[in-house]
Amino acid sequence: MSSEPLLEQLIDSLRCLPGVGPKSAQRMALHLLERDRDGGKTLSAVLAESMERIGRCRECRNLTEDETCSICANEQRDRDQLCIVESPSDVIAIEHATGFRGRYFVLMGRLSPLDGIGPEELGLEQLAEQLGQRPPQEMIIATNPTVEGEATAFYLQRMAQKHGISVSRIAHGVPLGGELEFTDQSTIAHAFSSRLAI
Amino acid sequence: MRVSLEPSYVLHARPFQESSLLIEALSRSHGRVGLVARGARGVRSRWKGVLQPFRPLLLSWSQKGELGTLTAADQVASPPPLAGESLFCGLYANELTTRFLQRSDPHPGLFERYRQLVAELAVGDPAQPALRIYELQLLQAAGFGLQLEHEFGTSDPVREDAWYRYVPESGPKLRKYEEDRAGELISGAALLGLKSGQIEDRHLKELKALMRRLIRFYLGDKPLKSQSLFH
Ligand SMILES: [Zn+2]
Repeated sequence: MSSEPLLEQLIDSLRCLPGVGPKSAQRMALHLLERDRDGGKTLSAVLAESMERIGRCRECRNLTEDETCSICANEQRDRDQLCIVESPSDVIAIEHATGFRGRYFVLMGRLSPLDGIGPEELGLEQLAEQLGQRPPQEMIIATNPTVEGEATAFYLQRMAQKHGISVSRIAHGVPLGGELEFTDQSTIAHAFSSRLAI
Repeated sequence: MRVSLEPSYVLHARPFQESSLLIEALSRSHGRVGLVARGARGVRSRWKGVLQPFRPLLLSWSQKGELGTLTAADQVASPPPLAGESLFCGLYANELTTRFLQRSDPHPGLFERYRQLVAELAVGDPAQPALRIYELQLLQAAGFGLQLEHEFGTSDPVREDAWYRYVPESGPKLRKYEEDRAGELISGAALLGLKSGQIEDRHLKELKALMRRLIRFYLGDKPLKSQSLFH
């Protein structure tokens, strides 16, 4: 295929997608060219427009094509509960799985010094400003239970305490329908140490 | 080369290729190593949740080039995870270690120090003395050993009751001029305490300032990111 530079470029470009190696990239390119040119044209147009027009919400940093996202723009959403998540996919997951009616702040990452990510990169100055101007009653920290997620949670906790906001952390533990026997040690340890009185 | 059941700690893990992780680990006999954990980002990976920093692990890997391929990761014990300020200190130690140590340069003594540091951080002790001693040993391992016992220039022994100005790459110089800024001065007692590993509480502040200044000197214009956590 080396004599077809454009085709090669297409295959190469598709590899920027997560989980797409050279083989699947080639299959995708050939599929669009051989069987679905219309689909391919729509994809390229929507892709180009999205890359241009989708930016970040000025309030919560989530992805949106407007200045503020639909959740922040919705006056029905409760300003007293602020849920902090690492990524836009976490917002989608919580929206689908829960009846949460509060608002979000999306970090777009987690504190990870070795990746060059500190408070500044996560927009925490912006968050501090918001907490000062319009403090919610409760901050719900929904970062992941990794070392970096925990460090981020602790940093957020201190920020909230400075503003007199109560803090909660979502629970982590044994998956529903799962069995202790097949749950890894660290999850069991975590679930055990954060057990609840019933 | 095959390495099996090597006592190690994960310093950092980052996504690598489609579903793998690139692990930077500190091992006892092989120093800092870069290991590829194949498929570790998959939902069903057997290493899910295991390849996390601050956990004593026994790692096995095979190595041909610069990067090794992880073949097994066994958790030795489940110490309490680091929390709060200790977690920040741990991330600081990991960043420092990664910045100063080259890959495949073994320092078993440093590994032991690291293990002790993590153990102290895990029980939530004020780990400041342990951090200073670790910094000192890490600098030494990186080829920047500090002169703490003898005065620069004269080679006179450092005196407990004297004040010094520490010159990077050279050593302590006896304070001569009143105009030496107090912030850069360090007592002989603090230097000797650091040397012996018996750091007294009253010297913690000046030793922290000294080490911070020296670390900045050796790292140059790219400061440590983890320092932004301590505010
Ligand atoms: Zn928004």
